[in-house]
Amino acid sequence: MRRKLSILVILIAVLVVLPGILVAVGGGYWFRVATTIGVFIILTMSANLITGTTGLMSIGHAGFYGIGAYTAALLATNLHWPFYLTLPAAGVVTAFFGILLALPTMRLIGIYFAVATLGLGEIIHLTLLNWVGFTRGPMGISAIPGIALDGLFSASDIVNYYAVALAVVVAAFALGRLTHSYYGNALRAVREDDQCAASMGLNVVRLKIQSFAFACFFAGVAGALWAHTTGYISPADFRFSESILILAMMVVGGLGSLPGAIVGAVILLGLPEVLRPIGDYRMIVVGAVMFLSILFLPRGVLGETSVLAVMRRQFGLAWDNVKHLGWRQ
Amino acid sequence: MTKYYRTLFATICLAAFSCGASAQNKTIAIGYHAPLSGENAQYGALFRNSATLAVDEFNKSGRLPGVTVQLKFEDSKGESKEGVNIARKFSDDPSILAAIGDFSSGVSMAAGQVYAQTKLPQLSQTASHPDFVKISEYQFRNITTMSYESPLIAKWALANGAKKIAVVAIQNDWGQSVVSNFVDYVKANGGEITDVEMFNPGTRDFRSILTKVARGKPDAIYLGSFYEDGSAFLQQKVQLGLKQQMYGTSSLYSQKLLELAGPAANNLNLSTTFMLDSPEPHVKAFVKDYEARYGSKPDMFAAQAYDATNIVLKAFVAAGGANATRAKVRDAMAATKDFPGVTGVTSFDPKTREPAKLLTKLEIQNGKFVLVK
Repeated sequence: MRRKLSILVILIAVLVVLPGILVAVGGGYWFRVATTIGVFIILTMSANLITGTTGLMSIGHAGFYGIGAYTAALLATNLHWPFYLTLPAAGVVTAFFGILLALPTMRLIGIYFAVATLGLGEIIHLTLLNWVGFTRGPMGISAIPGIALDGLFSASDIVNYYAVALAVVVAAFALGRLTHSYYGNALRAVREDDQCAASMGLNVVRLKIQSFAFACFFAGVAGALWAHTTGYISPADFRFSESILILAMMVVGGLGSLPGAIVGAVILLGLPEVLRPIGDYRMIVVGAVMFLSILFLPRGVLGETSVLAVMRRQFGLAWDNVKHLGWRQ
Repeated sequence: MTKYYRTLFATICLAAFSCGASAQNKTIAIGYHAPLSGENAQYGALFRNSATLAVDEFNKSGRLPGVTVQLKFEDSKGESKEGVNIARKFSDDPSILAAIGDFSSGVSMAAGQVYAQTKLPQLSQTASHPDFVKISEYQFRNITTMSYESPLIAKWALANGAKKIAVVAIQNDWGQSVVSNFVDYVKANGGEITDVEMFNPGTRDFRSILTKVARGKPDAIYLGSFYEDGSAFLQQKVQLGLKQQMYGTSSLYSQKLLELAGPAANNLNLSTTFMLDSPEPHVKAFVKDYEARYGSKPDMFAAQAYDATNIVLKAFVAAGGANATRAKVRDAMAATKDFPGVTGVTSFDPKTREPAKLLTKLEIQNGKFVLVK
C-alpha cells in the first residue's frame, strides 16, 4: 500500500506538478532546461550502476551516450524509423557495444579500469569524428525528426518534456529494482571485495558485464532522446568532458545512490542556468558548490546508506527486512 | 468602497501605462550567445567587445529616436546543450527580435533547430557549415563559406605555377569543407592533389604529417586551420627544412600568428575579408575605436561580430524600429544588400541567405601582412 502511494506521488510530481510549475514560470525555456536535465538524469543513473553500485569507475560514459545518439539519428534520418522504434534500438545497440567493449576490461579494477574506459570513450568519440562516410564526421547529423506521432501530437517542448520524463521514470524504476535487491547486493559485494565475492560463489565477471550492459542500454536511450529532442548532433556533444560531468553529478549526488544521481544532475545542470544573471562568475560559483559539497558531504547530498533505508521503508524495495538477511544497518 | 478603490487602481495603472507609451522609450534587444568560458572563450570575448561597441555607437547615433537597443549576452561554453537552452531563453524573451551566435557551427546548428521552431531570426558571424542556412529561412550568416574561398585560393595557387598540391586541414566540419572545395577545384582545373591530411583538434605536433606530406613532393601546401595550430605547423615545417609554397585559409589572418610563428610565417599566402591596415575610412574608424576601448587590435573574428551586429541593427531600423517584429526583422535581414561592413561589402542572397563578399589576397613578408594585387 505504502509502495503504491509512493509511486503515485512520484508520478504525479513528475507528470503533473512539475510541468504545472514550469508552465507557471514561463514555459518554453524551462521545459527545454528540464529536458536536458532529464537526459542527464538517465545518464547519471545508468553510470551510477557501474561506478556507484558495482564500483567500477567508468569515465567513458559519454562514448556510449554518443553511440545511442548516433544509432537513433542514423535510423531516423536514413531509414525513417519513428522514435518509438529508435529509442529501444539505440538502447540495444549501445548495450551490445557496451558488452563488446567491456569484455577485454573485465579483469581490470580501480584506476586501471578507469583508464581503460577513458580509452574506450576516446575511441568512440574519434570513430564518430573520423568515420566520415558513415557518421558524416564533424559535419554532424542535422534534421533529426522530433518526437511526434501523426494525428496524435507533434514535436514541441512539452512533448519533449513528457517523453524524457517518462523515460526517466522507466529508467529509475528498472535501475531501482536492479540496485535495491539481492542482485544489487551482489553488485555491492563485487564493489567491496571482488575476490571475497567470487569465493562466496558469485560470478564476478558475469555480474560486471551485466551491469555494464544495463547501464549502456540506458545511456543509449538517453542518447536517442538527446538526438530527437535537439534535432542536431555532432561528435563534439560526446567528448570526454561530458563523461567527467556525469561523474561529477554522481559524486555530488552520492555514489551508489539512485536519488543522488537525480539530485546531482539537477544541481550541476540547473545551477548554471539559474545563475545566468551573474554572467562571467557563474561557472566559478558552480565549481565552488561542487567543492563545498564534496568537502562537507563527502558521501554526496543523498548518500547510499540513508537512501537504502528510505527505499526499504517507502517502496518495500531492497531485501526482506524481517528475515534479517542481506545488509543490516 | 472596494469598487471605488478598484476603479482608482485601474485608472492609475492606465495613466502609468499611457505615460510610458507617450515617453516613447522602447527597448528592443539583440540576444547574443557565444562561448565566454571553455576552450573557445577567447572568441566569445572578442564578439562581446565588438557587439558592445556596435550597439553603443548605434544608441548614441540616434538612428532610432525613442528606441534603445539592448544587448543580451549569454555564455554557451561552446556546448550544444547550453546553446539550445539559451536559444529557448531568447525565444521566450519578447524584447529580443534577433539572435546572433554561436561561434562554432555545431552549437549554432543545435540552437538553429530551436530558432527555426520559434521563428526568431538568427545570424551567425562564423558558422560555415554548409547546412547551417538550410535549417530554415530564419538562419543567416555573414561569413563566406569555403565553397567561396577555397576555389579562389586554388585558382591563385595554380596561377602561381603550383601543379602538385597537398592539403592539410583540421578535422571538423569546417576543415571538411576546406578540403572538398579545394580538391574539387584543383582537380577540375588540371592540378594534382598529392595528399590530403586531416589532423584532430588540439594537435600540436605536425612532424609526422609533414613527413608524410613531403613524400608526395608537392609544389605547394594548402593549410586549413586556426592560428594556434597554424603557427605550430609553420614552425615545424621550417624545422624540417621543407621549402614548399604555403597557402592558407582566411582563419589564419591574425596578429597572433605573426607573434607565435615568427619568421616561419613568411611567404604564407592567404585571403581575408578584413584587413587591419585597410585604407578605407570606416575600417580605420572601427580599428581606432576598438583599440581605444579595449587596448588591443581587433582581428577578423572581432570584425565579423561587429558587422553581424550592425547588419542586425540596420534590419531593426528597416523593420520599423519601435514597431519591428521578428518576422519584419527577418525580412529586412534577408534584404541586406551592399552593406558596407568592415569585412567588405556584404550582400545576402534573398533565397539561400548565403553571403557574398570580396576577398582580399595577402602575403606575409618580413613578419607583416602585405596586400597582393
